[in-house]
Amino acid sequence: MTNSFQNILVTSFPDISEITFKNIEKKYLNVIIINTIFIFLLLFIAVFFAVYKDIFNLKEYKFWLYVLYTVILVFTLFIKIVGFKKRKFAVREKDISYKNGIFFKKLTTVPFNRVQHVEIDQGPIARFFGLVTLSVFTAGDSSDDLKIRGLLSKNALEIKEFISNKIDG
Amino acid sequence: MDNSENFSQFRRQSKKGILVIYINLLYKVLKAFWILLFLFIQRFSKISETTLTYIYLGVGFLLLFFFIRAFLIFKNFQFKIENNHFILKKGIISKTNTSISFDRIQNINFKQNIIQQIINVHEVNIETAGSSKAEISIKALSFKEAKALKQAITIYDKKITTEEAVLAEKPFLKVGFLALLKVSLTENHLQSLLLLFAILVGFYQQIDELFKGLGKRDLLDSFISENTSVLESSVILIVGFLILLTIIAVLSSVFRIFLKHFNLTVYIKNNALEIYQGLTTKNSVILKKGKVQHITISSNPIKKKLGISFITFKQAISGKVNKKQEKVIKIVGCKNKQVSEIKNLLFPEENVTNYDKNLPDSYFRYRMYFRSFFLILVINLGLFFAFENYYVFGLNAVILPIFILIIEKTYKKRYYLFSEELLLVGQGSIETHKTYLPFFKVQNIKLKQTIFQARKNVADLVFQTASGKIKIPCISMEKALKIYNYTLFKIETSQKSWM
Repeated sequence: MTNSFQNILVTSFPDISEITFKNIEKKYLNVIIINTIFIFLLLFIAVFFAVYKDIFNLKEYKFWLYVLYTVILVFTLFIKIVGFKKRKFAVREKDISYKNGIFFKKLTTVPFNRVQHVEIDQGPIARFFGLVTLSVFTAGDSSDDLKIRGLLSKNALEIKEFISNKIDG
Repeated sequence: MDNSENFSQFRRQSKKGILVIYINLLYKVLKAFWILLFLFIQRFSKISETTLTYIYLGVGFLLLFFFIRAFLIFKNFQFKIENNHFILKKGIISKTNTSISFDRIQNINFKQNIIQQIINVHEVNIETAGSSKAEISIKALSFKEAKALKQAITIYDKKITTEEAVLAEKPFLKVGFLALLKVSLTENHLQSLLLLFAILVGFYQQIDELFKGLGKRDLLDSFISENTSVLESSVILIVGFLILLTIIAVLSSVFRIFLKHFNLTVYIKNNALEIYQGLTTKNSVILKKGKVQHITISSNPIKKKLGISFITFKQAISGKVNKKQEKVIKIVGCKNKQVSEIKNLLFPEENVTNYDKNLPDSYFRYRMYFRSFFLILVINLGLFFAFENYYVFGLNAVILPIFILIIEKTYKKRYYLFSEELLLVGQGSIETHKTYLPFFKVQNIKLKQTIFQARKNVADLVFQTASGKIKIPCISMEKALKIYNYTLFKIETSQKSWM
């Protein structure tokens, strides 16, 4: 198979693999952990209730059920903590990129001249830490655009401002 | 051209519009409550005289109510053109004022359903993209008005108009009765059947709801089980049923195709495609070159033998538009020559045939086998627990070859190649699809890699466009990154507008 790319590769293009990505705010790890624990707390109540009332006839496996629960909890937390370090973003002159994931790595880049609008929002726990989520929307199926969670609101505003200037300019 | 139509003042639709709106309203009501009507007819003899009078009175009142409503909708529906904006006032109690700038307007389509055909008015739909604003539909305009309105709106669009007055040229493509019959007979009948089933299931649920509401569920259940048990007991019946199913599938394909594409005619004008089609509802669509995001040319083995394929044009959709009205425009029964002409029209001077095909990594095949393995496992377990009989595993003799065939076909048909401006992605299993996407129409780009792919150093590329995703699965990381960078370069340096 010949490489048809060579024909076009006369100039060197800006290379996405060579730019340095920035980590998101360390404080956001707290938000992730609190969120996870909150969900697991709800799950624990459900499991406890199920065992207590013996809904699924699982009373005799009670011990193993709790062991399973703990294993899943520890595993999830572990994934979330390791995965946190993989959440990175980069703003270049003409585009914004975000990457995340350990088992399922994902890298997204949105060029500024395709951005429809930029949104900043904040969940209740993130608000406590002064963190925000920056969402960049393009045309079409907006559910799958770029979203960076865990930015300081000052930085997010700066990025938003930067992109807005680029769109208008 | 025609200056007698003046759009600078607020004006209403043609008066016949009241009738169109009225029938539309009644149709909606009937669709929601047809089951009541059904019940009413069924029990007609059992209803006492006095109740009947009340029912008639009620119906009469409702008919009057809807007529007044239709009249008010008509009365309050006003539009004008001002300052390169289309301005619309509507609403009886809550008033809405919409203003759409001409360059936001993607399409102006004419449509005629049966009623509109009878009273000779045209429905004009103004489609916009990129904004969440609702689409505008003017229910009834005379042909002259509709034409003038379109003219008035498009006159500002890229300053190309003067020649448009010249009408009645030779159509670029015309699919006659026989050709359409050919097209419909070579359709994917399985798909038609599934569509039909989906409609029937919806139908059944509605009836089921009703019987449940009346506390007569058992009646329906016993009726169905009675009929199915007869079916189960006889092989001949099953075979007959299968033959019937095939006939239904073919018929429903023919029906579907004829309904939608009857008298399909395509003109090429001013770098735009004008498409007219439809049996009961006549549709006319103007497809502007710049608004098309990507096109897919599809064929299947039989169609290929006959030398016909169909082209799907994808235009931009805004995120809030529901999926039902996806802006997909399809023309069927294209000959190879016409296909290449359309390609040339949309992507001029882009010849991709000189470039080599790039094939996916063999991991792509491996992944498909891996995924199918689990699927087959689930099917087997499901079958076993459903029938509790070891003989069901014999079905694998049928299932496995089908899976292998489809996977091998899918793997073989997957490729991508690109010229300077254009990306071509080939895919399909039984059918063959070729998707053409200009790089600068991409909205954002994603690189995805699972931990298994990382070991093989391959990745998936996903191009997000304003009309859906296009995926290139399992290509080497090095190539993926090159295309990634190249696409970004193309988007960021592009001066052309993507819509």
